[in-house]
Amino acid sequence: MGLSLVEVNSKQRGASSFDEPFYINMGPQHPSTHGVLRLFLELDGETIINCDPKIGYLHRGVEKLAETLNYNQTIVLSDRLDYIASCANNTAFCLAFEKLFGLQVPRRARILRTIVNEMARISSHLLWLATHALDIGAMTVFLYCFRDREWLLNIFEKICGARLTHSYVRVGGVRQDFTLEIIEDLYKFTEVFPERVLEYETLIDVNRIWLERTKNIAVVSAEEAISLGLTGPVLRGSGVPYDVRKFRPYDAYDEVEFEVPIGKNGDVYDRYRVRMEELRQSNKIIRQCLEKLSETEGEPVLPENAPDLLIPERVREPEPKPHPKKGFIFTGKEVPVVPPGEAFASIESPKGELAVYVVSDGTNKPWRLRIRTPSFVHISALPELAKGHMIADLIAIIGTLDVVLGDSDR
Amino acid sequence: MSLLRKILLIEILKGLSLTLKKLLFHKPVTIQFPEKDYVIPAPGFRGRHALVRDPNTGDTLCIACMRCVKVCPSKCIYIEYEVDVNERKRKITRYDIDALRCVYCGYCEEVCPVNAIVLTEYFSYIGFTREELYFDKEALLKNWDEFISTQKRPYMNPFWKPRGYPEKLLPIKKREFKGV
Repeated sequence: MGLSLVEVNSKQRGASSFDEPFYINMGPQHPSTHGVLRLFLELDGETIINCDPKIGYLHRGVEKLAETLNYNQTIVLSDRLDYIASCANNTAFCLAFEKLFGLQVPRRARILRTIVNEMARISSHLLWLATHALDIGAMTVFLYCFRDREWLLNIFEKICGARLTHSYVRVGGVRQDFTLEIIEDLYKFTEVFPERVLEYETLIDVNRIWLERTKNIAVVSAEEAISLGLTGPVLRGSGVPYDVRKFRPYDAYDEVEFEVPIGKNGDVYDRYRVRMEELRQSNKIIRQCLEKLSETEGEPVLPENAPDLLIPERVREPEPKPHPKKGFIFTGKEVPVVPPGEAFASIESPKGELAVYVVSDGTNKPWRLRIRTPSFVHISALPELAKGHMIADLIAIIGTLDVVLGDSDR
Repeated sequence: MSLLRKILLIEILKGLSLTLKKLLFHKPVTIQFPEKDYVIPAPGFRGRHALVRDPNTGDTLCIACMRCVKVCPSKCIYIEYEVDVNERKRKITRYDIDALRCVYCGYCEEVCPVNAIVLTEYFSYIGFTREELYFDKEALLKNWDEFISTQKRPYMNPFWKPRGYPEKLLPIKKREFKGV
């Protein structure tokens, strides 16, 4: 849409007195846009004719910044992409780097990664449910969701010492093992959590206000969803059973059993149902992984050939014997620190498919790092979904896409 | 059936009964911070920085190997050192951490070969100016004294020797480290 606020042309639309569209900026400081998203709306009365998302308010240049940091330091940057579920970002980065390094991750580390990934999914979906319900008008769900999210964040604090920016996963494995206390806490959580999901469903699942606000809003057919590039729960809500965890299993997802919930109509309500079902499936995966943890008791969480946190700038082949006069000198040939080449890895993050493509030129820093984030693609689908709806429905549509602006702007 | 449900507001009554049950029979989950309930962070929480004071010499343990400077993703550690010719050892003359630049990843305490630096479990600290959150060596040692007086000795931070870390990858001093 090329129109700016200055050059508003009067459009003749029938004989009514309101014959030109109304232009309005929703955001960047609007509480329901979940961050600094600005939507430039063209309105006819209260109906949206056109919607133009303006992003970039949270741009930090992560891709360029990654070229100045070594591979392990880059993981700290990945915490700040989708800050609701840092562990998922860490895992995506690490999977790409491990392909590049040719590392084999120990089984215990893979199981631990699966657990933290699913914990991240639960905490992300809980925050989504809380804010989405609050936007639509259900206050109690918001409070109940934060009660459970707080519990998960406390467990995260015990695991890695931070509540939001975990940087728990590292190249080759994870940073440290679980303690028995954490495992007990998680067992307790997985036992209680299905009841908690029932509580949320009692509150809003058949509530008539909730149904009125969500049914038949932003309907996306399966073909349309695929052509818009939607992934994750938004795509599955339209009935496409695409899940990276099933199609290209990473970590320990090939060892666990879970179902991929799909919707039917592809409206806001179906996506809500898919996410609620995913909460239960994630809970099931954590439970299975905890039982597998006892099989791998005492194994290291890092392989012995894992790179140090401080990846050296140059590496020389060791000299076979010391110099006869000068003591010991290195005259070996320089070898690349990291094998030159390229690697691609994609994971199912809570928001959708998160992919990382990395190119190495042999130094200890990535030559180029490209991140494909789900939120960026989902925001680009916003005009298509919002056309013809009311402004109040736009809030529900932003909520159902589950966008995080840190993820989209990078 | 559906008409009856609509008139009787079954689903809304169910929701209301749930919230009423929570109101009457459950304890509140909110806490009165900081007047009544003070939050104790989990062991290994990555909070305020400190330099470990050596109980024998009363000075820092740092050997100026510059590993923390190199590993820091936000480049917030500044070290200057001089070489003692007689003992053939490095001695730090300046050790500064800009806490406002720090991202609290905890990489510095993990790579330190002598466990000289630590992110303490103390989290509620403020400053009214930027200078107050720019810790120099004396301030970092003072942070340690403040922190260790609330802890059981010997103190061991989980990131000094991460659980499940292969022994082969650890520096020799860290392998036999039992705490300060």
